[in-house]
Amino acid sequence: MKKQIALGFEGSANKIGVGVVTLDGTILSNPRHTYITPPGQGFLPRETAQHHLQYVLPLIKSALESAKITPHEIDCLCYTKGPGMGAPLQVAAIVVRVLSQLWKKPIVAVNHCVAHIEMGRIVTGADDPVVLYVSGGNTQVIAYSEGRYRIFGETIDIAVGNCLDRFARVLELSNDPAPGYNIEQLAKKGEQFIDLPYAVKGMDVSFSGILSYIEATAVEKLKNNECTPADLCYSLQENVFAMLVEITERAMAHCDKRDVLIVGGVGCNERLQEMMKTMCAERGGRLFATDDRYCIDNGAMIAYTGLLAFAHGTTTPLEESTFTQRFRTDEVEAIWRVDKN
Amino acid sequence: MAAVASDKADEQTQWEFSCDLEVDYESEESASIVYAALAVDKELQPDKVKRQMSVSNGKLSVHFEAVEARFLRASYSAFVDVLTLATKTIEEFGKGMEL
Repeated sequence: MKKQIALGFEGSANKIGVGVVTLDGTILSNPRHTYITPPGQGFLPRETAQHHLQYVLPLIKSALESAKITPHEIDCLCYTKGPGMGAPLQVAAIVVRVLSQLWKKPIVAVNHCVAHIEMGRIVTGADDPVVLYVSGGNTQVIAYSEGRYRIFGETIDIAVGNCLDRFARVLELSNDPAPGYNIEQLAKKGEQFIDLPYAVKGMDVSFSGILSYIEATAVEKLKNNECTPADLCYSLQENVFAMLVEITERAMAHCDKRDVLIVGGVGCNERLQEMMKTMCAERGGRLFATDDRYCIDNGAMIAYTGLLAFAHGTTTPLEESTFTQRFRTDEVEAIWRVDKN
Repeated sequence: MAAVASDKADEQTQWEFSCDLEVDYESEESASIVYAALAVDKELQPDKVKRQMSVSNGKLSVHFEAVEARFLRASYSAFVDVLTLATKTIEEFGKGMEL
């Protein structure tokens, strides 16, 4: 039987990506382009959508060319239905609706969070881990149970990546390649730990108070030469990552799983991986993590997850190929996992 | 296409501002593809902006109505962006695409 092939589109935040994958998880191509704002500035929906409008069509060409496939060989077209920013999500949705009609191919709508999980599982080989999904827009501790990915803990306000990104703006760090990456590099030079609020609430975490506190403290302490920007980056990372490790460990105890998979943009952070690895080792488990190619939003993760659903009989009719800013991880029935476990 | 507001709301609201847009694709197929792609997304504020679309003779016609000029502008401008995207997608990946 011919290998099934999917073309996937991701554009829920500041990256637009198009990926080509086969059902066994082979990535034939996965080009993407990131909208990078000047230091001190975040990305806004309208401008981000304009960026995606500009890059999406050349990315399709490049994805097909480097995968060496023609539209005829594609089995389904997958796109991010949500969650994410409305206007940027719409770009991928529109392109998929048009291509579906031009090429007579079915559409599969994909949940962005579930796509991160499935990409992480296929790339690392983690079979049934507790998943920490950490990015600029999401912070969730997730585990599979009875047909769905259940959320065991999450942020009650902003995402951990949003906290880091916004602190990077205070220090006016570069957003290239990502603000979190530059915080991580600077944190390596930190020497002094500055006490910050530690906000774990049961299974959940909170970051907005920490951000407000460090924003105020940073200005004050830096002015008085009481610490360096590196000390602040180091302290912020240690503090928020310790919180994440704590809630992940609690979820592991709760669902009796030994392994952890970290996905999402913040998952590239090597310090977070190191801290999580220590905890896993103490519990006799393993840590699975990926690098920036798969952690960070990309088209292949959408293609792969859509293809899993497609291979189990799911398609999205054109009239229903909407997008939505809110779309929880546990709304999706992970039908491709049901028959296996 | 805007969700159909209830008759009551229609009577109360003044749809004072309107504009029309027509794109000639010279192809019933292309016009229908763009129509179908853009009809999926409803107007976000159906009580403030209405959008009606139709296809005939290879042309896509769009009619906007709004209660304030700024809603009309915002809706029209966002629509033109996605219309352009859908059109470019057909131009680049429709019949005779080269890879």
